[in-house]
Amino acid sequence: MPDTFHPHIAGPDRFGVTKTVRTIVNGVPVTKDTAAHTSLLDFLRDALELTGAKECCAVGECGACTVIMEGAPVNACLLLAVEAEGKAIETVEGLSSGGQLGTVQHSFLKCGGVQCGFCIPGMVMSAEALHRDNPDADETEIREALSGNLCRCGGYNRMFDAMRDAAGQDTHLTTTEPVTGKTIGANISRLGGVERVNGRQDFIADIDVAGMAHVKLVSLDTGRARIKRIDASAARAVPGVIDIVTAADLPDPMPRFGPAYRDRPVIAVGETRYHGEPVAAVVAESKDIAAYAASLVQVEFEALPAVTSIEAALAKDAPLVQDPAMREGDALADTNILKTMAWEWGDVDGVKADLVVDNTYTFPMVTHFAIEPHGFIVDAANDRLKIWSPVQHPFLLQKIMAQMFDLPLSDVQVLSPDPGGGFGGKQMPKFEPLLAYMSRKIGRPCRLILTLEETFQAVRRAGAKVHIRSGFSKDGDILFHDIRSDYQIGAYVDIAERVTTKGNYLACGPYRVPNARINARGIFSHTPPSTAFRGFGTPQVNWAVESQVNAAARQLGLDGFAIRMRNVSDKGDQVVPGDVPADGHWPQSVQKAADLLGWDKPKLPDRGRGIAVGIKAGATTGLSNSTVRLLADGSIILFAGTSDMGQGARTIFAQIAGDALGAPYDRVSVVMGDTSAVPFDLQTSASRSTVFMGTAITRACADIHAQVIELASNRLGVDECDLRVADGKIHLPDGPVPIFDFVQNMLSNWNGELIGHGRMSKPTDPDHPLGGTPAFFEFNCTAFEVSVDTQTGEVMIHRHVTVGDVGTALNPLQVEMQDEGAAIMGLGHALYEQILMDDDGRIRNLGAIDYRIVTSKDMPARLITGMVENADGPGPKGAKGVSEGAILCTAPALAAAVTDATGVAIRDLPLTPERIWRALQTQIDTEERGT
Amino acid sequence: MKPFDYMQPKDIAEASAAWASYGASARLLAGGTDLSVALRHGKIATDLVIDLKGVVELQPDISESSGHLRISAGTTMTGLIAYLGAHGLFPSLVDAACVVGSIQIRNRATLAGNICNASPAADTVPVLAALDAFVEIYGPDGLRYRPVAAFIQGNRQIDLGTGELVAAVHIPLPLGKQGCAFDRITRRRGVDLATTNMGCLISGAGAVTLAFGAVSPRPLVLHDESGILGDPMAKAQDRAPVIEALTAQARPISDVRANADYRSAMLSVMAERSLAKAHARMAGGAAHA
Repeated sequence: MPDTFHPHIAGPDRFGVTKTVRTIVNGVPVTKDTAAHTSLLDFLRDALELTGAKECCAVGECGACTVIMEGAPVNACLLLAVEAEGKAIETVEGLSSGGQLGTVQHSFLKCGGVQCGFCIPGMVMSAEALHRDNPDADETEIREALSGNLCRCGGYNRMFDAMRDAAGQDTHLTTTEPVTGKTIGANISRLGGVERVNGRQDFIADIDVAGMAHVKLVSLDTGRARIKRIDASAARAVPGVIDIVTAADLPDPMPRFGPAYRDRPVIAVGETRYHGEPVAAVVAESKDIAAYAASLVQVEFEALPAVTSIEAALAKDAPLVQDPAMREGDALADTNILKTMAWEWGDVDGVKADLVVDNTYTFPMVTHFAIEPHGFIVDAANDRLKIWSPVQHPFLLQKIMAQMFDLPLSDVQVLSPDPGGGFGGKQMPKFEPLLAYMSRKIGRPCRLILTLEETFQAVRRAGAKVHIRSGFSKDGDILFHDIRSDYQIGAYVDIAERVTTKGNYLACGPYRVPNARINARGIFSHTPPSTAFRGFGTPQVNWAVESQVNAAARQLGLDGFAIRMRNVSDKGDQVVPGDVPADGHWPQSVQKAADLLGWDKPKLPDRGRGIAVGIKAGATTGLSNSTVRLLADGSIILFAGTSDMGQGARTIFAQIAGDALGAPYDRVSVVMGDTSAVPFDLQTSASRSTVFMGTAITRACADIHAQVIELASNRLGVDECDLRVADGKIHLPDGPVPIFDFVQNMLSNWNGELIGHGRMSKPTDPDHPLGGTPAFFEFNCTAFEVSVDTQTGEVMIHRHVTVGDVGTALNPLQVEMQDEGAAIMGLGHALYEQILMDDDGRIRNLGAIDYRIVTSKDMPARLITGMVENADGPGPKGAKGVSEGAILCTAPALAAAVTDATGVAIRDLPLTPERIWRALQTQIDTEERGT
Repeated sequence: MKPFDYMQPKDIAEASAAWASYGASARLLAGGTDLSVALRHGKIATDLVIDLKGVVELQPDISESSGHLRISAGTTMTGLIAYLGAHGLFPSLVDAACVVGSIQIRNRATLAGNICNASPAADTVPVLAALDAFVEIYGPDGLRYRPVAAFIQGNRQIDLGTGELVAAVHIPLPLGKQGCAFDRITRRRGVDLATTNMGCLISGAGAVTLAFGAVSPRPLVLHDESGILGDPMAKAQDRAPVIEALTAQARPISDVRANADYRSAMLSVMAERSLAKAHARMAGGAAHA
């Protein structure tokens, strides 16, 4: 029996009560001291350095920490290390031996089950357990077995395929290996995929920087509050605590930062503006000391009235979220309106419509829920900054940090390990500035890994309320849209102004709309900052506009397919007058989606069908550089500033360079994620990398082609005019030779290399509302067939079809994986996801227990991905960006199917069972306001 | 998280003595799927965790004796599901146990722990209440037994005295045919906490018990006095007022998972579905259904 309890009796090296654990890990007996309170997950990761198992939710919901104990999968986060005494533990590291992947690991990779890879170590352990127990599991059993593991990148369906593949059954689409010859257009296996299935991929939380100290944030259990006093004495007294920082320890005035507005304080000063805004930060020798000490920091505060909805923020006498003094010269400074934007064409008021539909729609605040929570390490111990942050834009972070700390860019190095899912949430600096101040203060590197709850409080998607009047001819022609969009942004602007602008600029969608008026506003609220999120402001307004089109179709006796075929722009047709026209044969995608759904086939009486379309503007401006080094043996090192966060950029880049230089795919090495090593790239966002960086790489390879010709001319004495390069080969007078072979001959004695540089730049157009024309559009058509349990309001999805206009699929499997991931993420906000606030501005459903995303068991009975390829994009081989299309119109298509099945139209998301039930109870359909 | 000490007593007397000695400054650990979350989130701070998994009397064990099925406190949901499935017993309890978390959770979580955690939304509790299950409580003064429905006294409140711990869960084995069913309402199909749930038992004599979860701080156990619900030939329009009158006793709250009126409305939906399933199971003739 224990003696009187002394929490810190053992001192900082042994925080807590030391226990010895004897266990067998991956077949190896281990005896190790640990603290009694240490989780098995921390024990494996920190004490045994087995970092394959990951931490995300820490409540047993996400499964990223799954290990097999005594033959059964368990959540390592929910076990104490001491509970593993005498037990046999298997981690992902134990599944592969001698570099050979296990069967399930191999199938995951082969079938496209792996994207960012953060969920994979846990996922494959659940899959492995099923495969051992029941290799011929049917799909119901597979869905059940994987339902304790969340994935946010894909659609789980590839994982179902992987289980069948592991059982020796056929699956429909798998990767091509080994790779010889041309790879573009083939389903090439993911570069970096092996590390993702064997647990060796280092994510931010897996990086150990010598001497680093651990930071924990202190925040308040309320939304908006005046900070009256912070008493950190109890926290300081905890052995192992190095320092505690509050606003008083930082420069006065408080440094502020942001990508467009420098409004976000490094740490809350005087007042908190949203639930979770940190007021202090503890740095300690270990993360559990920091966490415990943070819980002892006493903050005396006065809760202040908070505005957490658009209505509240716009109410007369609403408290102002931002101090007007911070918005000097801004005419809106005494309101909660960030900015108003307006676009208009045609004559909305003059047009005579046969039918006017007038409705208001809402879209909830939702969170990215990348399975990897945010994390940061900053070393400011010397006079330079070294920052590890899994950001989507290392160079923007570098610039902002250099400005804040008055350093030359050359003294700010950003190392960006591959993000474990980004979706826009890993854009923009968050706590890097705070860590830099703390690191400077204590003279050591500082590390902060957020919990999932803190990640939810860091950034989110803007909620929206859209009022829209739409006019139609009796034949179904769209005559006008009159749109008023309010986007609920947070307490600080982050990138929300651009989100509101870019989303609403294309509010009228992929149609020929002769008359339009769009008014959009960003509305501050006492909520976490809203930032970029897949679709970048489009899903919100498109929910409203597409629902209007569906409402009109119902009233006009048309179906959703017919009204779209009537109005959707074809290639060259106007989208926004004066801007670039439609860049694809979009009706082909609509037709294909309808065909894949079986739109014209008879349906069962309880079934409903719905369809919707969407477009998003691709990147409008920016610069991407690439350096490609062709080495003496024909192998290639490619440098790109892109972040591979699961979209598979590294794979595409290697395909482009390998094909261009005639090298096998496995001879291309891609270097990313270090601003000191790779040339400038604006960012990884807006589905831009295949087009922008892909083009830069293509041009870098062309630069090498010229050098190859020069080399051949010099060595062989052939006139350059008689030499040419095509398809990765140099065409010599004797015939074509792959560059790969040619340089081995030519460079082997010399030991030199050829270096190519390439760039794609799309300059800013100051007169364009978006700062430039879209480089391409992402067009998608989504269709559903559903049934609804009218007693409970539950939706059953029988078929979910998504078709994108992709230009050219450089790697069709990856295109499908991205499309499915976007589609299923869209299903999340369509059906389940919403951040719920209480009156005090607290988020009520923080964390994985009450914020619901799609699990394997929620997948549609069938998810079908199609694509239209006309090689009409601006990227390599006619490619367009593809990662966001399928999230643009999920909700309106699904809602239309629900309406078709039940007769009720719902204008608020998500379509929870309760919301559908409520609508069915009232059966009051107020949409029928036709004139 | 505040650090704590850990002990793993070897027998039930030692566990009870430690628990009695440390009282409120200690916590009992079984599967840990609820406790570890509460500790990490600071909802619970403790000085000592007493792990019951080493206690010899509590080792996973399911046995039939004197008309009961006795499920030891160390039995996990996975163990329970496997046993009941293999023996064709209490399919309703299998249904309930199968939706407690994910497979990973069920490999750790225990039936006794699900009861002792006393969450109003616990999925096994309404079934156990409908089946008249009771807990075997070991304490300094020996054993005592309490019906599950009475043992749970409120949200996160149970009837355990100083040094007492649940040693087993007992379920009366049916003497003849009976039909039982479990149902729940959730926000999604995948792992979810119940918005509301229920167990339903039709005895061989046609007596019907409905037990609802997540509509009051403790399980709401209702008995049909009309005889209509136990009549497999009764018409839906005759059942409806009976169900409505019974479920009117529920006092659900509005929370992050649902509003009260939705919960209320779902009670009759679940009741209808459960009755149909229970009648079907009874007709199917599984002696222990």
